[in-house]
Amino acid sequence: MNKMIEVKNLTKIYGKKDNKFTALNDVSLKIKSNSTVSIIGKSGSGKSTLMHIMSGLDEPTSGSVVIADKNIFEMSERKIDSFRANEMSFVFQSFFIEANATCLQNVMLPLEIARVSITKRKKLALDALRAVELEDKANVKAGTLSGGQKQRLAVARAIVNKPSILFADEPTGNLDSVTGDKIMNLIFSLNKKLGCTVILVTHDNDLAKQTDMRIRLKDGKIESIDEGKK
Amino acid sequence: MFYLDIIKRALRNLLSSKARTILTALAIAVGTFALTLTLGASNGAQDYAQNIVKTNFDPSELFVSKDSGLFKSQDASTPQLYDPSYGSVTTFGGQTRQIKMLDNSDIQKLAQIKGVSWAQPSINVSLQYLTRDDSNKYIGTLTTYNPYQNPTLLAGKIPSQLQDNTLILPEGYLSALGFLNAQSAINQTVKLSVLNQGASNIIPGATKSQVSNFKIIAVYKTPNTAISAATSLNLYASLGSVENLNNFIYQGTSNYQKYLEAVVKVTDGTNATKLNDVENLIKAQGYGVQSVVDTEKTITQIISVIEGIVTVFGIIAIIASVFGVVNTMYISVLQRTREIGLMKALGMHRKDISRLFRIEAGLIGLLGGLIGSILAIIGGTALNPVISSKLGLGDSKLLIFKFSQVGLLIIALIIIGIIAGLLPARKAAHLDPIEALRTE
Repeated sequence: MNKMIEVKNLTKIYGKKDNKFTALNDVSLKIKSNSTVSIIGKSGSGKSTLMHIMSGLDEPTSGSVVIADKNIFEMSERKIDSFRANEMSFVFQSFFIEANATCLQNVMLPLEIARVSITKRKKLALDALRAVELEDKANVKAGTLSGGQKQRLAVARAIVNKPSILFADEPTGNLDSVTGDKIMNLIFSLNKKLGCTVILVTHDNDLAKQTDMRIRLKDGKIESIDEGKK
Repeated sequence: MFYLDIIKRALRNLLSSKARTILTALAIAVGTFALTLTLGASNGAQDYAQNIVKTNFDPSELFVSKDSGLFKSQDASTPQLYDPSYGSVTTFGGQTRQIKMLDNSDIQKLAQIKGVSWAQPSINVSLQYLTRDDSNKYIGTLTTYNPYQNPTLLAGKIPSQLQDNTLILPEGYLSALGFLNAQSAINQTVKLSVLNQGASNIIPGATKSQVSNFKIIAVYKTPNTAISAATSLNLYASLGSVENLNNFIYQGTSNYQKYLEAVVKVTDGTNATKLNDVENLIKAQGYGVQSVVDTEKTITQIISVIEGIVTVFGIIAIIASVFGVVNTMYISVLQRTREIGLMKALGMHRKDISRLFRIEAGLIGLLGGLIGSILAIIGGTALNPVISSKLGLGDSKLLIFKFSQVGLLIIALIIIGIIAGLLPARKAAHLDPIEALRTE
């Protein structure tokens, strides 16, 4: 199935009347499936808003997001949830792991949400932990891991349901440069291995250079779109 | 998300905040403890009351009075008109009342009602005294022996047809009358004296008494299920003997051969329909009727009031603890805002998030219910022998726990917990995932 993402005339306005703030202003773009894309720009440029709207977590004031020929905002709330559970995943700057749960339980969360059968879950979760080299930590409480391990765990959780699109919001923001590089290498290798589209929100131009496509935002508008690795 | 996964997740969340979970559950446990004990006491009291009724009254008998108001409480706060047709003025239950009495024609009338096996007056004779030649004089009550009572005998035998001037003596009089043991009392004679109440009507200040000899044919054990301590000292004799003494007492008074109550034996009266039919026939003739079931209700009425009060306190405690659950769940939602945001980002439906928090609240209810009821059952079971001995209940238990009731109570607490979790669950379900993920 063609999992191309097409953003059409996306506008997002927060607040009303005098307090109006335009976070995104008539943004249109196309993202090829299985590619790596970075959204870059300064704070307040609309990067995270664009990511939230593309993932269906937020609704635009106007415009549409078409994924696999479906406008996700024409779906019911339940269908968007199911679509996200089956086709998307996230890696956040703050890891968002459950400290009191084991690594295995953390990784199984998306599978539980997607109602994958109990018998399949454990195998898929162990495969994902193996992919991020955390298999030996399967039964360890996630709270005891180091920062880099936590983010690897978050990556394992993001890939366990074999998503079509992986959104990564400043995934290296809380990590030192060496660990950050390792995490990015891991994400890029998974892009190749799993064939998922990676959409990366970052401030880091060097990191952005490693992606197939760079979308630079400024004041809610697209300033430039570069394609091809530099 | 599957229900099982939501339950597992809810359990994990509760376990990760053990102290908070247990403290909240303990608040529910207090109310549950009180309610479980109340239920146990209620069962025990009902059981005891049933036991008393079963051992003292024949369920196929009805108590009949001429005055249909006898079995009802009456308004004594306003003056009542004197009615000469009522017969004598009597002190009844601490108040002066005019009570219509039954006479022998009433007894005959009752005996002829369809479905009635026999009817006889219910007589309790207040003895002037009872004594033996070489012992003190004691007051006592002589009453008609009813084979249904089937008392436990310490000595002697009760024939199917009790002869006049034979006596069944209660254990309590043995040493008072100078008997070494129950066996030594058999075939011995005691003197029963009764005082005529009409003598002073003829000659002011005059007294007339009659002393009769009664042969002891059996001695019965003091029952654990006596209606009151006083009735455990009742002496039993044949209807003829009791009537003779009663007639002597009231000779020359307006109460001569008049009776407050009669006992009516219903043919196949254990059949509720037949009993009810006869009850209605008697009522239709203007008599007051009380069945054994009514007697049981009277006994349990006071128990029910006390139970009601304790139940109200238990319910108040549970209502108070519900606010604790609401508070705990709200705090939980606040603490887990980021987790909720993540679950929403990963595609968890709003309904499932709401369900998760409601199940957590329900599990707190379950835990509180289990702690409270288990403590009540353990404590109650351990204290039962002590309470029974203090209250003189014999082998009866004051606290009887029924697992079906405790189970229903716990189910009710789970539902109460779920209801308490509704608002926090709604808050969690409606959290904006983006805001939730931004929370520090």
